[in-house]
Parts: sequence; structure tokens; C-alpha cells
Amino acid sequence: MTKFFALLAILLAGTTIFYGFTQQSALVLRQEKQDNHWTRYDTQTSGSYRGGVWVTSPTRQTYGSFRGGGPGAGK
Amino acid sequence: MSSSPKTQRTAQFLDPFTYLTLLSAVGIFACLVFSPIFMRSLVSKTIQVDPDIPEQLAPIQLKKELIGALRIDVSAAIPDNHWVTYEIQLKDQQGQVIASGIKQAWRESGSWSEEGESGIWTEDDLVGGLDVRPTKAEPVTIVLDVLEYTDISGKEIDQPVPFKVSVVNGAIDTRYLWTGILGATFLAFLALLVTPFSGKVIIDKSVGDSDISGRGILGGAKNLVRVTVNIKSDEYSPRSLTVLLVINDGNGEQLYSTRHPVHLSLKKSEGGKVTSAKGNLTTFFILEPRSSYGFHVEVTPDSTIDRTALIVREHCKTLIPVSVTSLKSTQ
Repeated sequence: MTKFFALLAILLAGTTIFYGFTQQSALVLRQEKQDNHWTRYDTQTSGSYRGGVWVTSPTRQTYGSFRGGGPGAGK
Repeated sequence: MSSSPKTQRTAQFLDPFTYLTLLSAVGIFACLVFSPIFMRSLVSKTIQVDPDIPEQLAPIQLKKELIGALRIDVSAAIPDNHWVTYEIQLKDQQGQVIASGIKQAWRESGSWSEEGESGIWTEDDLVGGLDVRPTKAEPVTIVLDVLEYTDISGKEIDQPVPFKVSVVNGAIDTRYLWTGILGATFLAFLALLVTPFSGKVIIDKSVGDSDISGRGILGGAKNLVRVTVNIKSDEYSPRSLTVLLVINDGNGEQLYSTRHPVHLSLKKSEGGKVTSAKGNLTTFFILEPRSSYGFHVEVTPDSTIDRTALIVREHCKTLIPVSVTSLKSTQ
């Protein structure tokens, strides 16, 4: 029984130390897939990386200062 | 004939796995304590940001790194009953946004009164943060943009908002480590809990009396045998009892006969009257060779004894070094 607990604890230690130190929860720049992203202080990403550009999310676009983004922005 | 019993304190039967579980929890905690050594502070200052006029920080050169991430922490300093929605953006060399995150920060306060008491409450949620991991070496510029700044009624305020900005490289996500510490500590707690019950139960008997006997095939070299006697006594119970434990070999030859004093823990009713008492005796043996052994228990004085249980386990592990009595049968 304690063998099982020890195995679980070692696996847990390995996983959490790996995830913590390699920052699996961080937003990966210039990447479309963000499987492990875990927001901090409830700060939601306001867009996502698509086809080489940052595409602003619809909620972001409701704010007054929105000046457009995504493909074709600034043209 | 039997040789005289030898009792020795030994750490030989400590459970290494219980300690390994504990060590895992301690290991994660050590990683948590040492995680700040990877951190390098890049920016720590207060900036004023006008609504709708994004404020830039100096560009930061990023590169792909194995450990840690770039951590941007922002705290808005706003008065009571104000709301501010701000965005943390990262721009590349060409001025294109490559990442952004929105935080709705607020600070509210008010007064309360209840049953003649009153006071003031304040609540806030002002800190926002973004951890980013670069995938290539490039300079990035951090931009702070106030998207909306209002008072509690929703009226827009056209004033700069002060922000405390801290940018750190090599930041570790300690939330994982805390999760690991909690989980491993829980497992270590379970391991500590089950270790005294390790091994194989050979005898498990219980009678509504003071005398109990059992016999089983057990023992051998390096095989720790744990003999547990549990006693339940009634409301007239004395504070302590004497347990006579006798061990005989397969020929009925007595190998061990010792009286052990056992202190009882008294269970009291709300009025302070004793309702019952419980006590237990735990002893450890090495019995050689592997053979049939008989265990006999007599609890005295016996008048108040409600129940006596005899549990014998073999191949046991212990949490701490214990006194072990070695008995050899010469049958």
C-alpha cells in the first residue's frame, strides 16, 4: 500500500515540478495551440494567434478604443 | 529448551516507501523555496496610463528558454468605487500585437450595520498578470492600454490611471508546485496512517472476556511480527491494567512470558463520568524458525474487561525504530 502511495507521490512531484519550472501554463507566443494555458489573476487573453497574426477576440472589439486587428489591420 | 529472549531497538523494519512519500512532498517544497533563483527582474515601476492612449515600456529582448517564463504583473491603483478594464499587450518588432490579455479591475467599499454594530468594508481585485513563453529570440514591447475607466455608476472618467508594473524573466508557475505539495502531503499522511497496519494478518480474534488465545504458522528470519492487544473496559475501569503475554512454540514450550502495564484512555460523558476505557499493547517479535506459534493473553484485573482483541501480523513495517524481541524455538 505504501509502495503505491510512494509511486503516486513521486509521479506527482515529477509532473508538478516539470510543469511549474517549464511554465506549461504560460501563453506560448506565436503558437495557435494553447493546450495548457492557465490564466493568472483572472486575466483573460483577448485574442488568439491564427495564421501568423494575433486575431482579436469579439469581446475585445466591444471596447471603445478598439481600432481593428487581425488580418488586414491598419490598411 | 529455549534461549533467553533478547530485546533490541532496531530501525531495520522502517518502511522506506512511507519515507519516500514524505520525501516527495519535501522535495516539491524545496523546489518552491528555490524557484526564485531563476527570476531576473527587468522592470519594476509605476506608470500613468491615460484612457485610450496605450503606454509602452522599453523593448525587452526575449529568447527561448528551458526554465521559466516572462511574467508581467500589473496592479491598478484606483480610488474606491471605481472600475477599470485594462489590457496587457505584447508587440513585436513591427509593432504588431502578438499577445494580449484583459483584466477587469475594481475597488469597492461601503458601510454595514448589523445588530447595533457597524463598520466599513472594502473589496478589490486590481492585479492582472500574463505569463508568456517565447518560441524564438525576438524583442518585444509591453504595452498597457486602459480600455474603460468608470465609477460605480458607469460614468466614464477621463483621468490617467496609475499602474504598478513588474516584469520578471524566468518566473516559475508555483501553482503547480502548491498542487504537488498538497497532493504529496495528503499521500504522505495516508502512508503514515496505513504503515502500522502493514503486513499480513495471521490471527485476528476478539472475545467478550479478559483471556484470549490464538495460534498460527508464522515467523522466520527478517520477518517482523507485530502483536497487538486491544482492550475495552467498562465504567468501573481502573486507570491501568496488566497484560500478560505468553508465546509458546509448536511443542507447547513457553518462549516468552511477560507482564506489560497498559494505560487506558478514559471516555467520559458530558457530566465528567467515566463511561468506558480503551487501551492497547503493541509488541514486536522475531520468531525463528518459521513454525506454529501460540499466543495467549490474560488481562488483569479482569472484572471490568468488556472485550479483548488479539491481532498478530507478520512481515510488518514500522514508522519509527522499535524494540524487537527475538525468540528462538529449539524444537
